[in-house]
Amino acid sequence: MEADAFLARVRAGLAGVAAAPLPERRPPTPASGDGRLFDRFAEELEKAGGTARWVNRQDLSAEIYEIAAGAGATSAVVAEDVGEFRDRVDRALADAGCAAGPVTREAATSADLGVTGAVAGVCSTGSVLLRATPASPRVASLLPPAHVAILHEAALLPGFEELFDLLGEELRGANAAVLVTGPSRTSDIELTLVRGVHGPKSMTALVVREE
Amino acid sequence: MSAGEERRGTFAELSHVQLEKPGLRRAIGSAMDRFVVNRANAFAGADLEAMRRTGEAIRAHTVANLDRYLAQFADAAAARGTKVFFAGDGAEAVDYVRGVIRRHGATRVAKGKSMASEEIGLNHALEADGVDVVETDLGEYIVQIAHEPPSHIIVPAIHKTRDDVADLFNDVHRTHLPADPPELTRFARELLRDRFLAAEVGITGVNFAVADAGAFVVVTNEGNGRMCSTLPKVHVALMGMERIVPSFRELALMLPLLTGSATGQRVTAYLNVVGGPRSADDVDGPEELHVVVLDNGRSKLLGTEYRSVLHCIRCGACQNVCPVYRQVGGHGYGAVYGGPIGAVLTPLLDGFERAGDLPNASSLCAACTDVCPVRIPLHEHLLSLRRDVARERAGAAERSAFRTWSGVWSRAWSYRLAARLGRVGQVMFARGGRIRRAPFPLSRWTSGRDLPPIASRTFRERWKRGGGRPGNGSAGGS
Repeated sequence: MEADAFLARVRAGLAGVAAAPLPERRPPTPASGDGRLFDRFAEELEKAGGTARWVNRQDLSAEIYEIAAGAGATSAVVAEDVGEFRDRVDRALADAGCAAGPVTREAATSADLGVTGAVAGVCSTGSVLLRATPASPRVASLLPPAHVAILHEAALLPGFEELFDLLGEELRGANAAVLVTGPSRTSDIELTLVRGVHGPKSMTALVVREE
Repeated sequence: MSAGEERRGTFAELSHVQLEKPGLRRAIGSAMDRFVVNRANAFAGADLEAMRRTGEAIRAHTVANLDRYLAQFADAAAARGTKVFFAGDGAEAVDYVRGVIRRHGATRVAKGKSMASEEIGLNHALEADGVDVVETDLGEYIVQIAHEPPSHIIVPAIHKTRDDVADLFNDVHRTHLPADPPELTRFARELLRDRFLAAEVGITGVNFAVADAGAFVVVTNEGNGRMCSTLPKVHVALMGMERIVPSFRELALMLPLLTGSATGQRVTAYLNVVGGPRSADDVDGPEELHVVVLDNGRSKLLGTEYRSVLHCIRCGACQNVCPVYRQVGGHGYGAVYGGPIGAVLTPLLDGFERAGDLPNASSLCAACTDVCPVRIPLHEHLLSLRRDVARERAGAAERSAFRTWSGVWSRAWSYRLAARLGRVGQVMFARGGRIRRAPFPLSRWTSGRDLPPIASRTFRERWKRGGGRPGNGSAGGS
């Protein structure tokens, strides 16, 4: 039906309905920050089945090497939004015997590992925010069985309030975003938790310390 | 009106079928117990009452200004290249989706969980067109291949045991899988991965649309929602028209309320934010993005006392605590939405003719109202609906019978006389302190439960004999 007719019907239905103000004050929720940053982030991400590492720039390669070698990965897709860490990532993957390439749907379909940047981390939930842009296609964190997200310490946010204040802005230059919290999982059969359904089976966030 | 499935019986008939199923009540009850505990843990330490009150206020504000927010959403989404379609009823929504699929010559559709699509009977319509539609949420996939409707808003296959699922997979796919959830999940992952990659159209629901951003969010744990919104070249999202918030800021509260109430999670594995179709230089994402906004009977509730049912955020918490749902499961209701929210929503959307019996599927204990994250007075709605249904349905005879009843019970002398007559009359029916079979019309009551007989001495008689002092009457008697 025409949008105008649809909305007119809604408007007619609301005739005489009392005004209901939007509450300005919002109570804190379990997803609000508690003042702690990285240790909370790591604690919550681990509860969700993921792994968080607090690393120096120079340790980044060692972490990536360990993840790739540990997973026995032979191929990886690396998103451009890893930015300044690009060389370290590529070197570590090469050392681990893992062929790295840019993110395409085809490459991501068969890759063992996807490495991306993240624009924010949410400490109250152990989540990372990924923006879908040409520099960071969605399939990198979706199709490979393992996902590593790299983010700066400065990108850590206390909780959901800070995240959602930022999200409108983050979405301005992107067509999608996703907040990822640990690996993919299901409890659909007898509420038994199984990790690794459609998305990755393992998920690691590397938080790079400012120096 | 709804284009969904015709109900295959009344609540009384369908619930009896469910009650006969061995193990069903235990399976549902223990799952619901875990949900209740998980929810309590999720909100431990938070001021849940303050959250609920604020959640209620946000929903009330949004629904009271729904025309404005929907218009704002449509403009903002269109500016991002999203096509928004307003569907007055289920048939219009179905036709629109069919049109999109036909225009692309698509034959393969991957679908994420969407209660709205169940409501409009979308899968059946598409299958009738020869389109291969696959549900990709594991629970939805299980009920799809079993040719059953979902039995719970959050866990659609909760009525099936691991053995049921293994038998089903082995039967449908000629496999020899063990009754082991990780093995069964691994099998479904591989099977569905190919379907995701082959799908030309992805269909998902919407948890919240964000009016000022023209974007919407879909929460999943499995990642199937992301697959459906990323891989196919066309993404169609279906939303009930009330599923909206003014801005992202509201989600900081509404999402924890939703996921905490639904699964006891602070956040799901994926909070998927969809803002528009891919740009020319994007590597992936759909080329076309459609949002179908569904009225389907909702707008006629706006000016009524039932408006708050549109505040619902589809968490399923009212099902988990409902003593009736826990006995009969979702299939006992014979409706897309089961449990207390379904018993309210279904008669309102589908009409009293089809679902006027559902408001009786409640003990009015109000556990649903107490647990609702946006404080919908569900038990009050159930009671009001019983009144409305009775007004519409009751014949002259029934009305006059209840008028007489009310007249008799309004005067002390006639009330006493009625009690005495009943005491005499029940002698033929009371056995072992129970009336198991009463004559018509009371037989309608005793066909499903026992009736306690009238006490041999009434309270008034005992009070008189005891000289008015408490504790002096003889014990027992009822």
